[in-house]
Amino acid sequence: MTEPRIVVCVKVVPKPEEVRVDPQTRLLERANARAEINPPDMNALEMALTLKDRLSGTVEILSMGPPYFEPVLRVGLGMGADHIHLLSDRAFGGADTLATTYTLAHGIERLRSVDIVLCGEESSDGATGQVPQGLAEWLNWPQLTLVTELEIDMERHVARGQRSIKGGYEILEVPLPCVVSVKTASNEPRFMDFRLKAQAASPGRMKVWDAAALKTDVNHTGLAGSPTRVSGLASAASRERKRERLTGTSEEIIKALIEVIRNSVM
Amino acid sequence: MVDSLIHPHEAKPEIWVYLEHEGGNLQTVSLEILGKGRQLADEMGWPLCGLLLGEHVVHLAAQVFEHGADRAWVVEHPLLGSFTIDAYAAATFQTVMKGKPSVLLFGATPDGRDLAARLAVRLRTGLNADCTDLRIKRESGVLVSEVSGFGGGVLALIEMPDHRPQMATVRPGVFPVPGSMPGSQGETISVRVDLSPQMIKTRIIERHTSSTIDLTRVPVLVAGGRGVGPDFTDLEQLAHLLGGDVGATRPPVDAGYIERERQVGQTGVGCSPELAICCGISGAFHFVVGIEKAETVIAINSDPEAPIFDYADYCVVGDIHKVLPDLVQALQAARELTHD
Amino acid sequence: MSDDAVLLNDELWERLLELTGGDVALCYQCGECTAACPWGMVREKGLPVRLVLRQAQLGIENTGAELWLCTTCGLCQATCPRGVDIPAVFRALRQLAWEQNRVEKGLPSMLWSLYWNSNPWSQPPSTRSAWAGNLNLETFDPARHEVLLYVGCTSSYNRRAQKIARALVTLLQKAGVSFGYLGDDEPCCGESALSIGNQPYFEEIAAHTSQVFIEKGITRLMTISPHCYDVFKNHYQEVPPGWQPLHYTQYLAELVDQDRLVFPHPLDFQVTYQDPCYLGRLNEEYEAPRRILKALPGIELVEMTDNRQAGLCCGGGGGRMWLETPASERFAELRVAQALNTGADHLVTACPFCLSCLEDSASALSRALPVLDIAELAVQAIGERS
Repeated sequence: MTEPRIVVCVKVVPKPEEVRVDPQTRLLERANARAEINPPDMNALEMALTLKDRLSGTVEILSMGPPYFEPVLRVGLGMGADHIHLLSDRAFGGADTLATTYTLAHGIERLRSVDIVLCGEESSDGATGQVPQGLAEWLNWPQLTLVTELEIDMERHVARGQRSIKGGYEILEVPLPCVVSVKTASNEPRFMDFRLKAQAASPGRMKVWDAAALKTDVNHTGLAGSPTRVSGLASAASRERKRERLTGTSEEIIKALIEVIRNSVM
Repeated sequence: MVDSLIHPHEAKPEIWVYLEHEGGNLQTVSLEILGKGRQLADEMGWPLCGLLLGEHVVHLAAQVFEHGADRAWVVEHPLLGSFTIDAYAAATFQTVMKGKPSVLLFGATPDGRDLAARLAVRLRTGLNADCTDLRIKRESGVLVSEVSGFGGGVLALIEMPDHRPQMATVRPGVFPVPGSMPGSQGETISVRVDLSPQMIKTRIIERHTSSTIDLTRVPVLVAGGRGVGPDFTDLEQLAHLLGGDVGATRPPVDAGYIERERQVGQTGVGCSPELAICCGISGAFHFVVGIEKAETVIAINSDPEAPIFDYADYCVVGDIHKVLPDLVQALQAARELTHD
Repeated sequence: MSDDAVLLNDELWERLLELTGGDVALCYQCGECTAACPWGMVREKGLPVRLVLRQAQLGIENTGAELWLCTTCGLCQATCPRGVDIPAVFRALRQLAWEQNRVEKGLPSMLWSLYWNSNPWSQPPSTRSAWAGNLNLETFDPARHEVLLYVGCTSSYNRRAQKIARALVTLLQKAGVSFGYLGDDEPCCGESALSIGNQPYFEEIAAHTSQVFIEKGITRLMTISPHCYDVFKNHYQEVPPGWQPLHYTQYLAELVDQDRLVFPHPLDFQVTYQDPCYLGRLNEEYEAPRRILKALPGIELVEMTDNRQAGLCCGGGGGRMWLETPASERFAELRVAQALNTGADHLVTACPFCLSCLEDSASALSRALPVLDIAELAVQAIGERS
């Protein structure tokens, strides 16, 4: 039986609480924010590594971004991934989901013979949750989304997953190759194994692909390939708790509570 | 620049809403978007259209008109009996290419997100995800969507001036459900789509709904602590009324008053609800880390010194055994009023 | 091979010898350890320490749940006639479990938080010093400050434990101590990684943290948590010249002895004192906290049945702070009962983990038993609110 070749899409994101909008310039200040692997992508990585524990095969990390993401991505090697592919070119900058998925899809096509692509449910920065499906569309592959459990049958060449739906779940089966999005917090990502971490620094474990290597069309990548534009930015209301005491007669308090409930959910 | 399949000049000034339904009723989120869509359509003088897909769904058109739509595009096919991304994306794509709407809205539900994301790439257009507000610029017809990012810390306005349809998924619960206008009429447009069993790659093995406890994504969390005592009925009622679920701190779980799966916090689950209502909870650090990501926190506790008040937006010093029943009663009364 | 045959693994045996410095070989299986272990008081089967040691000696793999029960309280070690460092054996076994990715749920997440947030509590690093609010604390400067206040992760982020930090600041200011802190730049000590057996990660943290201390010219520091104190004192390989880590009770006791810290405001309490394992048994500091208590006017100390060397663990060490323990199996429940038996009206301790566990169990009692840190009590005796 052949062993699966698994690709996990990983995004490096700034820690959300350290990102600010400059009140004067109205621009996003993220330069000083610490970087981390997008937490939902850690769940995808863990699911891929669990499959590798069971079926052998390889787990490769695919990411798009500037070269300085490298040390953060190498964390994935410490967890047990085999290789990193970083798609990095100035032409890829400023991409929205259409351009991002186009570029990632090119990366996967260039890798050839990939059996399954795993993605986190969404990113903590953009939070669009559209990359897995968009990627599947560019590749013309089937998709399994919001999966909490996943099996691969290499003999029948299918993937079977448990997809979360409103109030429950469904079990779906699709032929390989396919794209899977892993439901956030559906597993606990393993910590780095320090024996692997020592090897993770080896330069041979990472390959950087630029636009020329990927043979991407400049009209489809980066800002040029992105239909959407950000026309305004603002900091959301402060996340400091208000600690406001509701006082008065019990009727007044209930009325105030209903007002709060209305404003937050109704 | 990459062009969308539908050129801005050929797009029709129409707002379309993709409608999800279950058990013969339109889903709440679809009604919410119809309500917002109606408002936008009126401002622009555009028609509002509902898009209905399924095996036998034409009878739902009446509900679509009652909630404000001028037209219902109805797509019926045996392969649309249950949701598969393959059939639904193909059918929606074909219908959109026929109708060429300028604006196309979906609920940000599991199926709505999947469908919209796949379709946007197929149409080579943009998609604004999980929007919390929408408006249309009167002079240009450009849709402006408000989205949040970075864990809710940053709000962004997003537009796509040169691509059609302008697609967006809308976060459930942000717009009110419009009142229904019984007897409203509209135009039903039946669409024939070309689907074949070979196109369906997804095999549904089984489907289970209800019964699973999952507090991680619940929109409203009603959490109880030691102060609740053995009976969680009031909390359950409140959660039910608000479309949420019940969680707990460690002591009620220890005492066996409620399932371990409902424990929130460091050794339980982390939740990110729009609203968390903390009842009779003192506010141990082990618990409060589980509600840090809540948008708004209400705390009700009889002890004015309870640490939970440091972690809450709105604090009520009072006996939950009195406050909760009063609140449930008032909410029920308010609901009956709006339904009349 | 029959079902109950077990595989003996020479390689495993050698690794264990290496990881424990040969300690596991010393055990002659008397069983004093199992008898001493507090788990025997809360679970029918207790924690079979002797058996775990035996299996380790034979090179039998142990990945069972009992591996993670050990709170590293050191009570077994204290009774061991062969002087085996039993908590170190547990840590070594845990290290092997880490290598096989067979660890208790929740612990990898804790380490990830250490990795991304530099604290085990999943809190933003940018808010580490938020507890200090408007206290106007100075950033440590070796030219101006005699000592560093090392706050630690728990006292930085846990609102209950923050009160200890603020009380301690009040005491130091009152005594006129010139001290600094490191604000948001304070690095984690790494004890939580060490106690759950991830030795390699602990070493990485320790190397980084001591580098920070060396760069900032820190030699004398006081910690709030005995856990930070223990690793700084006993587990850091590379330390600045003149390195002198102290627990804050030791520092305060010094101030009391020098009459720099005086308590003019009489209290009227009977208190009993919980010896934190990492201060008492592991570092043999039983007197400094008691010296402070004795200096507080109107405070009478009554001892619990198990005190000093025999002190009963709160249940929070060895990574247990991040694991769930059923209510019926919490050592803190027993400890609180012992405290009640003394007739004391306050239970005091000197460790944020003890405070958290004991307060949790005390809050379930019908009779009120306030749990305080010594620093909080001392602040009352200088006539100020903490």
